[in-house]
Amino acid sequence: MGASIALQPVSSPYTAPAAQSDRDAGLMLRVRSGDSAAFTLLVDRHRNPVVHFLYRMVQNQAVAEELAQEVFLRVYRSRETYEPTAKFTTWLFRIATHLALNWIRDNRKERRQESLDMEVIEGAERQVADRAPNVEQSMVRQSRLGEVRRAIGMLPEKQRAAVLMHKYQELEYAQIAAVLECSESALKSLLFRAYETLRARLAHLDEGR
Amino acid sequence: MNHVHCPMQTSEEAAAILLDYADRRLDAATAAQLDRHVAQCDDCRRMVASQRAVAEALDEWRPADIAADFDARLAQRIAAEQNARPWWKSLNPFAPSAAWWKPAMPLAAACMLLVAIGLWKTGPSAQEFEKKAAVYLNQDPQQLEDTLSDLEMLRQLGVAEEGASASSRQAL
Repeated sequence: MGASIALQPVSSPYTAPAAQSDRDAGLMLRVRSGDSAAFTLLVDRHRNPVVHFLYRMVQNQAVAEELAQEVFLRVYRSRETYEPTAKFTTWLFRIATHLALNWIRDNRKERRQESLDMEVIEGAERQVADRAPNVEQSMVRQSRLGEVRRAIGMLPEKQRAAVLMHKYQELEYAQIAAVLECSESALKSLLFRAYETLRARLAHLDEGR
Repeated sequence: MNHVHCPMQTSEEAAAILLDYADRRLDAATAAQLDRHVAQCDDCRRMVASQRAVAEALDEWRPADIAADFDARLAQRIAAEQNARPWWKSLNPFAPSAAWWKPAMPLAAACMLLVAIGLWKTGPSAQEFEKKAAVYLNQDPQQLEDTLSDLEMLRQLGVAEEGASASSRQAL
């Protein structure tokens, strides 16, 4: 009983925004019509960007994957009433940002130190797997990574989301503004302030090299 | 004395262009214009250099691999939601088709209702009722059972109404 969703891996690059958005809307309309393979394709195209965005927002891999699952669940639940009134990625990241902001708000005190501690451990594990030629370089790299994570983590949540979408997802200003439900002008101001803060906090990293 | 920023950094539009220039996202023609400005403006040159250093640092923050069973877990959650969906939610004749069997559901339910009304008139036992209903429609067994349970409840109400009707006829 119920449609069977078999998620098979499909190679589908995260292509140029305009073409991708049209294709995504088309896929979502097929999902609305009952095409489960189209949903599989959408998940495959957007799984990594969504998880990675959420990971950098909440700085906890397990939580990020849990929130990402919820994002795709909400997309699936909304399939019957989906209308392509906005770009698919705008809608997707609006859901993701909303869930991330809620989680951050709900777990502000409890999770902050725990997440940073976990990331230090996870970072160390990743560094061991990296092909760093010596321990000293690995430690320096880990230290820089910690500085970056802390700098991002200290940004106000909306600035953090804006930077992550701008830097890592390469969304357009108009899209980010739509996700954060503000004007494009307000978004640019938000982004500029966020980067100004990051430049101030991370300036010493460049000086030490 | 306060540092006075270049107007490129005080206007939101210009600042966004400068950010895009630092990230090397501008088209060649616009980038060339900024090249000339940055070459002459110490403030913007420092800003661009600093911004590029930040971008480089941010690039080093690579996320961990996603769990191999992410898709499988998502599929399980979706399937669990679908299976938990109450049977009456499938009866909405206005719901768009999401699977090949869904258009048949409202029609099937309507047929079941007609069968039930017909069977009530002849007053079958509960077992006879189930047998006859099953003959008419090829339903998912669990769904048929759920449907029949609800119809049985309605049948009991129908028996009460028949009793009241019988009393009324006797009074006339």
